[in-house]
Amino acid sequence: MTVDKSIATVLVAASLLVLAAPASPTRSAEPSPPGPTERDLEFYERRVRPLLSRRCYKCHSQRSKPIEGGLRLDRAAAIRRGGDSGPLLIPKKPRQSRLIEAVEYRNADLQMPPKAKLPAPEIAILREWVRRGAPLPKDRPLGTPGKSSDRKSGREFWSFQPVHRQDLPQSPDTTGWPRRRIDHFIRARLAQHRLSPSPETDRRRLIRRLSFDLTGLPPTPASVEAFVADRNSDACDRLVERLLANPHHGEHWARLWLDLARYSDTTAAWLKSTAQAWRYRDWVVEAINDDLPFDEFIRRQLAADQVDGLPIDQRRALGFLGLSPTYWKEPRLAPDLIRRVVAEEWEERIDTIGRTFLGLTLACARCHDHKFDPVSQADYYALAGVLASSRLFDQPLLPPERARVVRDADRRIADLRRRVTQVTLRIPPPADKKQQIQKLKARIEQIQKATPDYNAPRAHSLEDASLFVLADGQDMTRLEYRPGQARDLAIHRRGNPSTPGPVVPRRFLEVLSPGKIRPFRKGSGRLELADALVDSRQGGSLTARVIVNRIWRGHFGRGLVTTPSNFGLQGNAPSHPGLLDDLAARFIDNGWSLKWLHRELVLSATYRQSSLASPRGEAVDPDNRWLWRMNRRRLSIESWRDAMLTASGELDPALGGGAIPVDDPSHRRRTLYSKIERRELDTMLRLYDFPAPTGHSPKRVRTITPLQQLFVLNSPFIIRRANLLTHRVPRGPDPVTAVTRLHHLLYGRSADQDEVRTAAEFLAAAGPGGWQQYVQVLLGSNEFVFVD
Amino acid sequence: MINRLGGGLGAVALAGTVRGSEPPHFRPRARRVIQLFMNGGPYQADLFDPKPLLAKYAGQRPEAVKLRTERQTSGLMPSPFRFRRHGESGLEISELLPHLSQHADRLCVIRSIHTDNPNHGPALLQMNNGTISPTVPSMGSWLSYGLGTENENLPGYVVLCPGRPVRFSVLWTSAFLPAEHQGTYINHKSLDPKQMIPYLRNANLDRPTQARQLELMRKVNRRHLARRQADPLLAARLKSMETAFRMQFAATEAFDLSRESQTVRQAYGTREFGNGCLLARRLVERGVRFVQVYYGNGQPWDTHQGHNARSASLCRDIDQPIAALLDDLARSGLLEDTLVVWGGEFGRTPTTDLSEGKGTDGRDHNHYGFTMWLAGGGMKGGVAHGATDDFGFQAVTDKVHVHDLHATILHQMGLDHERLTYRYAGRDFRLTDVHGQVVRELLA
Repeated sequence: MTVDKSIATVLVAASLLVLAAPASPTRSAEPSPPGPTERDLEFYERRVRPLLSRRCYKCHSQRSKPIEGGLRLDRAAAIRRGGDSGPLLIPKKPRQSRLIEAVEYRNADLQMPPKAKLPAPEIAILREWVRRGAPLPKDRPLGTPGKSSDRKSGREFWSFQPVHRQDLPQSPDTTGWPRRRIDHFIRARLAQHRLSPSPETDRRRLIRRLSFDLTGLPPTPASVEAFVADRNSDACDRLVERLLANPHHGEHWARLWLDLARYSDTTAAWLKSTAQAWRYRDWVVEAINDDLPFDEFIRRQLAADQVDGLPIDQRRALGFLGLSPTYWKEPRLAPDLIRRVVAEEWEERIDTIGRTFLGLTLACARCHDHKFDPVSQADYYALAGVLASSRLFDQPLLPPERARVVRDADRRIADLRRRVTQVTLRIPPPADKKQQIQKLKARIEQIQKATPDYNAPRAHSLEDASLFVLADGQDMTRLEYRPGQARDLAIHRRGNPSTPGPVVPRRFLEVLSPGKIRPFRKGSGRLELADALVDSRQGGSLTARVIVNRIWRGHFGRGLVTTPSNFGLQGNAPSHPGLLDDLAARFIDNGWSLKWLHRELVLSATYRQSSLASPRGEAVDPDNRWLWRMNRRRLSIESWRDAMLTASGELDPALGGGAIPVDDPSHRRRTLYSKIERRELDTMLRLYDFPAPTGHSPKRVRTITPLQQLFVLNSPFIIRRANLLTHRVPRGPDPVTAVTRLHHLLYGRSADQDEVRTAAEFLAAAGPGGWQQYVQVLLGSNEFVFVD
Repeated sequence: MINRLGGGLGAVALAGTVRGSEPPHFRPRARRVIQLFMNGGPYQADLFDPKPLLAKYAGQRPEAVKLRTERQTSGLMPSPFRFRRHGESGLEISELLPHLSQHADRLCVIRSIHTDNPNHGPALLQMNNGTISPTVPSMGSWLSYGLGTENENLPGYVVLCPGRPVRFSVLWTSAFLPAEHQGTYINHKSLDPKQMIPYLRNANLDRPTQARQLELMRKVNRRHLARRQADPLLAARLKSMETAFRMQFAATEAFDLSRESQTVRQAYGTREFGNGCLLARRLVERGVRFVQVYYGNGQPWDTHQGHNARSASLCRDIDQPIAALLDDLARSGLLEDTLVVWGGEFGRTPTTDLSEGKGTDGRDHNHYGFTMWLAGGGMKGGVAHGATDDFGFQAVTDKVHVHDLHATILHQMGLDHERLTYRYAGRDFRLTDVHGQVVRELLA
């Protein structure tokens, strides 16, 4: 907006009118929200700021000389303050705001921009913005975003700050509701919105909730009754301890991790892998059951081969990267093209590492500096160098000397396989092509047979060896791994490996490295990377926040940050920032113990709330962002299937071991042990929101569809369970005993008269087969499938 | 429509009762939509937007085409395909689409569509959900929410794809709208209805027995819900159980292409996309509100390499089936109030894609200007609206943004895009956010 003097005079006069308006125009009968919502801010960032920048900054920003009318539109404070002539807008009242008056050309003396009226849609955007209360972001510099690699300003963002214990909020409440520190934070937020917590849920619901949340399995009818009858004040604490000590705890929570790690039981066919993916899955289960400190949990997954003194079987942890998706590298193509394929693999791995541990979308910096987060392209290639210096391989789980013999055989076999490829592709084909190939294959087989321990257990693993993509004759490509040799990568300009820029030493992210940044020196640098991720002076604070939020989400159904794998500028801000930081800081202080964290959450008053809705809560906060009640949650497909097998008395509780096809009729193990295929996900799993294991999955997207219900009505699986459960429950002439027993088995409660009558009527009308149909209904009922 | 349902309460009021069709805002010109989605992004100047100047400037890179797309591009690459005028309207259509050309007078071609982002994911989301964010409802969900369904026994919103389009289920998400409005995804790679729809039939129970069982299910779940006040998820699951029951019979019939005569099967060809078109016809005949047919798994139209050959072969695949679909709809009169929409998430560049190495013969993504067409459902026929620049890179005349397209589609369905709102988290959401103008020039 350029303002000439005559207009400026009018502006002064107009501003008097504004000042005469109520002093605090945002105040109304409703309590004003503590700040703009995420959506409002997003609206500002996506619609309003670009518009202001394009249309107004020329004359009304830091870079305008002079700043016309003393009005700057590139800082929130300045927009709120207005220009020399007073306030610019009255939030929520577009008609009365001078900004709108000016852009609408309603006042002949006040027309902005002066050269031409804005197009109608742009005016509509500004009007809408004011109507929403003119939301503005807080302490972030407005205007053109600073260069994203600007470490200092980048660090100001909340998630890059070190975590600290927080002072408890001053609670006006003296009801004694809080049980844990988190409750004070929840209580304070509720009070701000004039909400109160819901009453505590009853014991039956609580034990069902705790059992599913801590082990993924329902409580036995006997344990429900014992818990209900237990009048000791520490009944709940003891129950939680028992559940945390139950090995099924690790099975349940491992699945959360496996979603993040895009776990698959099968790898690409061309890898010719002889390792067993499930060894990694079992390692995760064991680590969680042993309460392996989370920092160590990360360290072993990235660098178990470099941590001193670890037994060989800990190499299983390397499956996190060892099971990465790999893409076909066609040797007939030019090296340039293959380098792109390799770059894609690095990208997927960086993406998984970044989002899983740090909640950062690091892969966005592959082709240019990150558009939003302070992550530079140099950061990206510094990390890509670590991956370029690491190779996937099948680690024999044997003592080193015996493993060496097997690795030697592997190398010879790899050479032979390469020769098979060469013969296959040779143009023109040799006359004795078939015989040559047969001969080579026979030798491979012979080595496999002759090598002791060749069929020993193997884990998908990693070792230091750097990859070079080299030309092989004309237009062909050869992959060469150089063991023990690390390599720094050149930045790929625009993400194109064929246009290399400067070489970047392997190192951690600049924004999370205060002080002088140190390149990685030990081999590939995987161990140093892992250390940096958990070091409290580097990535530790962010890493702790991210995992705390994930566990929180696992229990409450909604994260404090609702974008669990994006804690960057495009992610959502935490609903309870103090709470998140307090928990994360104490999580670190408590030795990164996940079991400590579970305890802290499930023993809170917040967790114990009833899930029933209240009219006030529904009106003020229908999403339950402030946790005025517990969220009702649908069981995951894993828990639901496991609960059905439990009820029918079939569940095989054994831990660990090989995967079984989901639809194998003899599969009675926990769903965790079902075979997950990266390329083709099983139908039942797919229908019930199981994530595609082609990449990191931050959270499952919940759907409810008729196709899911067809599973309830018709699947052989559910019909079989109904049949077996029917036979498990003794039936007399009067259905009351059996119906009651079924309710205990499935719902953890007795049946009331009405329910017994409904059952009796149905059974009388149904005739033979009625019981099984009845049981099938219970297995598919909402009460069985949801947890209050 | 403002605050229809109003969050959870409305959904609960529906529990157990069957929700039929809802009155629109004004008299609709169309009652159902078929969207033929060329996922990957077809190249407009091969098909509907001839650019003879490309030949003159082949290999050159004039100032006007120095536009940033997803990848690096190089010089102009002419389309080798010839155009002819067709029908009474003389609409120009490429030789790649000989069968479709016979419907020239039915097509309302928009040559000036543009969208915001040149990457597949965001552009797919924008075309489906109105914004590049996966957190808002898709157009099909809005239509289902706004108009309800005409056939309770089939899902109101069906997504057909022989495989999985990129981004997959967020493309038909109902987001914060009640979950019943989510698209039902069907992989029609196999044509056995029992394969397309898993667990479609019960091996043991006859229909009356299963109906009795469902009645019990209804009682059990309603009692559970009544003790828990409003919970849209519980209600949605209850409702989807009812749909599932009826779907067993209705879907077996609707999805069974073997009930079509050999002549009809021949007309559509028997390749995957043709099967999708034929299924779409069967579904709209049975009152499904919105059917999307994705061309294929992944993003087949994404021709970064070998563009010309692939473009020709892709067109061979779609030409006859689309023509057969329009024939059938016209013959039965359904085209009167069935809106057919054709297009991708964006178009392609007139320049060659450099990113795959030298000597490239591919085209990059182009969100600046591309072509879509509509037919039936009260649209003008034989029209080419808007224009791109001389090289077909940017829309320049009568530009139509995806928001405008959405506003127009809703309008034809009898819905005012500014009034079709849903209150969520304290504000009224719309498919078109705060944008969109109905393109009135295109309405018959």
